[in-house]
Amino acid sequence: MSVLETPRILFSGQIAWDPIVTNNNEPFYNEDTSSTVFPQRVEDIERKVAEFRAEAIAAVDTVTTPDGIVKWSWNPDGTHRSSFFNSSVSGADHGQGGDLCADPFVAAPVNFLGMLVDLEPYGAYTSQLFFDAMSLGIAGGCRIAARRSTRMTARYINFNRNPIGWKAGGASVVFQTCFGKNDLEIDAFNSPTLQALQKALEDDDVLGLTVQFNAYRTVYYDCPEIATNHPGVPNTKALDPQSAALIAKLTGGGFQPNPARSMMVGVAGLWRTGEPVNEPCDRVLLESANSPVATAHARLTGDSVTLDLSNSISETGLDLVKQDLGDLTVVAIDRNTEKLTKLATFGYAEYDRTAYLRTSGIVTLKVDPATAAAAASMDLQLINSENDLLLDEAALRVLPLVPNLYMSTSATALAEFQVYDRGVPAGGGIEVTFYVMRADGTPEGQQFKLTTTDQGRVRFTLAMGGGGRINAYVSVPGPNPVAPTADGIDPQVNTYLYVRVLPADKDIALLPATWENVYTHVLANWKAMAPCMDNWLDLSNEAQIRSFGPMIKRLTDKAAFENYRYMPVTRDLTEGQRTLLYNFLDNAAPSVTSSETVATAPTFAERSRLLRG
Amino acid sequence: MIRLEWKPIATGTDTDARLMNARSMLQTAIGVEFGTLPPYLYAMFSIPPGENVEAAARLKSVVLQEMIHMCLACNILNALDGKPVMTPPVYPGPLPGDIGPPGGKPLTIRLLRFSEEAMKQGMSIEEPVEPLVFPIVNLLAAAQPKAITIGELYDALDQLLASLPPEAWIKDCRQIDDSQFFAGQLFPVNGYEDAKRAIHDIVSEGEGAKDTPLDFQNEVAHYYRFGECFYNKVLTKANNPKGYAWGPKTLGVDWSKVYPAIPDPCTHDFSKDPPAAKAAQLACDRAYSQMVDELQRAMTGEIGRLGNAVRAMFDLRMAARVALTTPLADPSLVAGPSFRYSPLNAGGQS
Repeated sequence: MSVLETPRILFSGQIAWDPIVTNNNEPFYNEDTSSTVFPQRVEDIERKVAEFRAEAIAAVDTVTTPDGIVKWSWNPDGTHRSSFFNSSVSGADHGQGGDLCADPFVAAPVNFLGMLVDLEPYGAYTSQLFFDAMSLGIAGGCRIAARRSTRMTARYINFNRNPIGWKAGGASVVFQTCFGKNDLEIDAFNSPTLQALQKALEDDDVLGLTVQFNAYRTVYYDCPEIATNHPGVPNTKALDPQSAALIAKLTGGGFQPNPARSMMVGVAGLWRTGEPVNEPCDRVLLESANSPVATAHARLTGDSVTLDLSNSISETGLDLVKQDLGDLTVVAIDRNTEKLTKLATFGYAEYDRTAYLRTSGIVTLKVDPATAAAAASMDLQLINSENDLLLDEAALRVLPLVPNLYMSTSATALAEFQVYDRGVPAGGGIEVTFYVMRADGTPEGQQFKLTTTDQGRVRFTLAMGGGGRINAYVSVPGPNPVAPTADGIDPQVNTYLYVRVLPADKDIALLPATWENVYTHVLANWKAMAPCMDNWLDLSNEAQIRSFGPMIKRLTDKAAFENYRYMPVTRDLTEGQRTLLYNFLDNAAPSVTSSETVATAPTFAERSRLLRG
Repeated sequence: MIRLEWKPIATGTDTDARLMNARSMLQTAIGVEFGTLPPYLYAMFSIPPGENVEAAARLKSVVLQEMIHMCLACNILNALDGKPVMTPPVYPGPLPGDIGPPGGKPLTIRLLRFSEEAMKQGMSIEEPVEPLVFPIVNLLAAAQPKAITIGELYDALDQLLASLPPEAWIKDCRQIDDSQFFAGQLFPVNGYEDAKRAIHDIVSEGEGAKDTPLDFQNEVAHYYRFGECFYNKVLTKANNPKGYAWGPKTLGVDWSKVYPAIPDPCTHDFSKDPPAAKAAQLACDRAYSQMVDELQRAMTGEIGRLGNAVRAMFDLRMAARVALTTPLADPSLVAGPSFRYSPLNAGGQS
């Protein structure tokens, strides 16, 4: 199943991240109201924009306002663009054994360009990549060309992956999406793996292709060393030279992005009926307390077990040498007797740096068929040579069908979840407890229970009146649910849905469609927060806005929301703002229709927030 | 035009002379890379949004790589303590260094809208020699100017750079890296090995290799990307001795789906055109001149100015779009940017 099944294509390289981070800051942006927080000391909107920009630039060096509010930033001139670079197919596994690098598809370039946008801008739980297409290989050669079916979504943040570098650089994360058969073009030529993939796609049970990648070791300011001694401290002095240089660039005008860079390994494999689109499925082995190994997924067949350790084992330093945990053993546990059955053992050579790059962290081990059969109904575990428990299977898992949901206060939406039992869709009668969380991932105090349908699904309607807000829903299956702690969402353990409710802004919709109103209530927000949108169009130029009206309407259309070039890139255009903008562009009358201080032991929620600086 | 002046390496034992020659050749290389940008941009800009998508994507990728090549050439020159000069090319006109197809005449580069002629010109600019038959020294020593390929130019440059002593190279001297733009493709040059890598990347991306149309990253090299547009065929793996064939899949080129842009607008007399067309040209000139000025500052080591140059490039793109949708006196025609330079700032190129 999924990327743990063969055939699969492996790739590796790097990814550049260039998000605007000004909206990661409460003093600059109100994520509930989806609005830029302009300085109040000036009246004129153009001056507000100018002063906002000046403050955003100054915040690169961390500023504390007279009110004691800390503002910080590392990329006020970002574009949100995120692209693979130096990336290529690193292996191809058609399941017949042999050299993974022998396939002629190996070394073909892998290209991806997306917009990195967080549904919840202050924290790190909800990263997404909006894109139009990706390709492995090039036209005319061995190639997979895929049109986007749905955006990529990040889950399973591993806060402990790389205890090196600066802030978010310490975390790794899994991005995933799926492509439907109709959105795929595969040119196999002489590639046995692509030929096998084409053949496998003929199976009615195969819906398309799953693509997953793990981003790790993120470097900021192009300087891996900047914060070795200052983990998670927003106003670290270690940044002085870099932040001063960036401020100098920004104040010198022009377009001055400051992208971060991550290492990346990835895999493309079969997407089968019932498998989730946006996060890994299969059997999940959760990290146990104090384990040096982060949550992994596994697949057990009649004669093998395959582990996805792409997000699980830390690098020990800037040289990216993997932690040596000695021999590791996959066992099956009989929960009634606590008896362990050994399935397979593997050594460091199977998960060291070389192996990681060769296999994208996927380890396949032979298992005696009789043992595999016996283990099929038991839970899997990973233990070390001292018999310490590193990973422990949670048989039941609840995954949202749409993990990050945008809606308006004036609308309703359906939240739907699939329960899995050892990686396959479960049946009816399973209780699921939902814990309502605040935007930062800490518990809000409310909870409710639902029971699965015969298809193993639960659903509820979201109807959010009032103003805009962001909430998360942690879903826990089974009769004895373990509630998220006050620490907040643990992304290695919890599965969750995030919902962003944009305010309807009916009052804005009712405003006269004048240039002053449309600039003040719509375009000035973009110009201040996301100057990248100004790169092709002067957002403060009425004539330009009018002349590009049809294009602006296409780019801001609701139907274009998933597109790479959707405007605004921050995806926080409210219905009222859209109405006002369109009334202006259509020249019609207004319509009536429509910073944190760091604790010594930060909680998960705090760590999510801290990744922002 | 900066004429390629290079004396045979074998007789050049004077380090200072070789250094001077190397700087001169690097300046030529910078001029060549710079000189390719306006014709490629003119063709790219002339494709309306949403039309000829595959061809536009190929042109864009070539343009971006030419910008990287120019930066890399500047990095090499700066590493030798040279001072890159952004000399705005004039069109129609030659590229520095007598660049042209192997054995032919030096090219006269024109600004042409997206067309077979423009793509053929791109192929001529990027055309490789396979194999390299004549040593560069013989070509350059000939009495009459004969065209040399960009690959030959860089091959000669590589030989010359290899002959320089280690002390000729200065570390961290006015280098532009990939920290802001061109991730993974733009790197500092701190010695000959870096320079050799830069030259390899430039030639590989332009011409491919002796036995493959792919560059070092397994992407189609520029010459063949222009070929794909020209033939309207995707260069495709094939079971023949060459390993590739043009097609059968097409690129979907429709030569009629372009703005009706006149060729070589710098030779056009705009005095009789509507004010809007004149204003559009002026905006293009202003943005282009700003870009040249900012590039000059960036390539000579002023921190952050590449960002200003990129910003000016955005302005040029917008100005070009306006110009290409503004009718001339003959309302069936428009003009793209003339790429005319006029000094703007005291600190800029003049």
